[in-house]
Amino acid sequence: MRYIFNFPDIGEGLDEGTIAEWYVVKGQQIKSGDPLLKMETDKVVTDIPSPKTGIIAAVYGKIGEVVKVGEALVEIDIEGVDGADAVAEAKMESEETIEEEGAGVVGTLEIAGKNAYLPASGEGMVETVPVSAKTDKKALATPVARAMAKEMGVDINKVVGSGPAGRVMTLDIKKYFESSKRIEDQAKIIPQLPEDRITYKPLSQLRKMIAKNMIASKHNAAHMTVHEEVEISELIRIRENYKKVFAEKGIKLSYLPFVLKAVALSLIKYPQLNAEIDLENNRMVFKNYYNIGIAVDTEDGLLVPVIQDVDKLSVKELAEKLNQISEKARDRKLTINDMKDGTFTITNYGSIGGLFATPVINYPQAGILGIGRLLEKPIFKGDNVVKGRFFPLSLSVDHRIVDGGEVTRFLNTVMAYLSDPVRMIID
Amino acid sequence: MIEVIKYNLPDFDIFNTDLKFEVSVWRPERTFLVIGQSNDAERSLKTDLVLRDNILVYKRPSGGEAVIITPNTLVISLVFKTDKLLNPKEYFAKINQAIIAALQHNGVEDLHQKGISDIAIGEKKIAGSSIYRKPDKVFYHAVLNVSEKPEVIARYLLHPQKEPDYRQGRDHSEFVTSLAEEGYMIDPEILRYDLEKELGTLTFTLISKV
Repeated sequence: MRYIFNFPDIGEGLDEGTIAEWYVVKGQQIKSGDPLLKMETDKVVTDIPSPKTGIIAAVYGKIGEVVKVGEALVEIDIEGVDGADAVAEAKMESEETIEEEGAGVVGTLEIAGKNAYLPASGEGMVETVPVSAKTDKKALATPVARAMAKEMGVDINKVVGSGPAGRVMTLDIKKYFESSKRIEDQAKIIPQLPEDRITYKPLSQLRKMIAKNMIASKHNAAHMTVHEEVEISELIRIRENYKKVFAEKGIKLSYLPFVLKAVALSLIKYPQLNAEIDLENNRMVFKNYYNIGIAVDTEDGLLVPVIQDVDKLSVKELAEKLNQISEKARDRKLTINDMKDGTFTITNYGSIGGLFATPVINYPQAGILGIGRLLEKPIFKGDNVVKGRFFPLSLSVDHRIVDGGEVTRFLNTVMAYLSDPVRMIID
Repeated sequence: MIEVIKYNLPDFDIFNTDLKFEVSVWRPERTFLVIGQSNDAERSLKTDLVLRDNILVYKRPSGGEAVIITPNTLVISLVFKTDKLLNPKEYFAKINQAIIAALQHNGVEDLHQKGISDIAIGEKKIAGSSIYRKPDKVFYHAVLNVSEKPEVIARYLLHPQKEPDYRQGRDHSEFVTSLAEEGYMIDPEILRYDLEKELGTLTFTLISKV
C-alpha cells in the first residue's frame, strides 16, 4: 500500500515551514518514528518522524523550499499490506482515507488527513474521552443504532461512531447514554452554591513559589521526622542574664540564636545533615559552610531568609542578624540575596503555637528542625519534683541522604548544647 | 563576506548532555550575533558594521530571527529528554511562564507572552525564544535583555523578514526594551539564580510527566 504523508500542523499556529534537511532518500527503508526531515517554522526547528514503517517511495520538496501544512512530504510503501488487507487497514487507521487506483500507483493509496498527527510524538492528540462529536453533520449509523438512540432519547449526531467510516453502532449509543447519565448524576450530587459563598483570589507569586517548592520537596525527598523534647532551664537562665545587657545595645535576644549556634556546631559533627544528594552524578555534595535558613511567617507568606556562616558567628552576632532579618521581613525588604544558598533550615513555629510537627524539608537540603511552643512539665531532680521547661523538637530529614542512627545522634548533640549551652563555648 | 560559525557557544554544551535535563543561564563575556537555522547573514545583519566592529556571527540549530547577545543579556537554555513531545506552543507557554515567574519574583510587572514566543513588558519585547526539537528531546533557547541598549541591537540587526503582529512595523529601538530601561535594576547574578531555580523545577516537572 502506498501512504502519502502530508506536512502536519506542528501546533505553532503557522501554516507553513521550510525544509531544513532531509534524512531520507527514495528507496530507503524506514521505521515508524524514524526522523524523515528537519523542518523549520518561525520559531521551531523540529524533526518530523515517520508515521509508518516501510520504504520511501517519493520525497517532495528540496532544502530551503517552503511547504504548506497539508502538502505532501513523502510517499511510503507500507510493507506486507496490499490488496484487500490494505483497504481494511486504510479504513481502520484513518477516517479520511481516500482510495484511488491508477495514476501510476499500484494498489491502494492512503493519504494522511489534514489533521494527521505525528504518531511517534503523540502530537495533535487530545487525551479526552470522545463522548460527543460535532453536530453540524448527520451521523452515519446502523438502523438498529438509530432506533436505540430514539428510544433512549440520545441525539445520534452527538455520538462518536466506532464502526466502519465512523458509523455509529449500538455500543456507541449505550456508552454515550451511560456517560451522559453519569455526568447528569454528578451534577445532581454537587450542591449548587450561590456565587457569593465562594471568593476566588489569584495566587500571589510567592504563594505559587511556596506551592512549587513544597511539592518539589515532597516529590523528591524521602521525608522522615523524629520528635524529641529538650529540657532548657539552663538556657532560659542564661538568656535572662544576657537579655537586659543585649537590650541596652538595642539587640533583642530570643532563644533562636542559641538554637542556631547549637545546630551549626552539630552540623559540623554530622556533615550528612549539611549535604545534598546528586543522583545524576551519583555523588553526595557536602557543604563545608553552614548557612542556616529561618522560616519566617510574613503577611505575604512563608519566607526563608538565610544567615550565612552561622558557625563563625557569636550568639550576639546571630541575635543581631536575626533582628535585621525580622526588620527586613516586616518592611517587606527581603531580597532573593537574603534567601539563597541555605544548607539547613530551622522553623520556629512554636512562637505562634503548636508542639510537634512534620516540617517539610527545604529541598534539596538534608534537614529541617522545627521548634515548638515552650512547655512546662514536672520533672525529677534527685528525689524532688521540680518545674522543667522543655522545647519540643521535630526534625525532618531526607532519608536518602542520612540514616536514622545519624539523625538521632545529630539531634542528641543539638539537645546537649541546648540543655547545657556552656558546652557551645567549650566544645 | 561574513563568516558564519556553527553554534558552539558555552550554553550549547547542554544539548549533548547525558542527563535527563539541564538548564543553563549564561552571561556572555563579549558581544556575538546569532542567526536562526534558515537565516542568512546578509539578509539579517548590517554586515558592514558587523565586519567593522569584528563581531562574531554564529548560526544556531533552532529557528527564529537573528539576535544579539552581549554581556548585558542572559542566554537561557534548557534541554530535556522526553518520550512524548508536546505541541511547541505548550513548551513556549510553560517555559516562558517560568521565566516570567522569575522576573516577577524580582519585582518586574506588566509581563506578557506575545507573538509566538516573545516575553514583553507592556508592548515592548524583552526576551525572544526558539526551540530545536528532536524526536527524543527538546532544546529551548532564549535571550533576555537585562540592560542592553536597544540602540546596540539596532546597530547590527536589520528589520526581520518576519515579524509578530504586536511589532506593527516598529524598528528595533521602538520595539525592544530591557529590564534596566524599564526601571528594573536587577543584579544579573540574582536573576540567573532565580531563573535556574524556576526553570529547573519546571523542567523536572516536564520530564516527570513522560
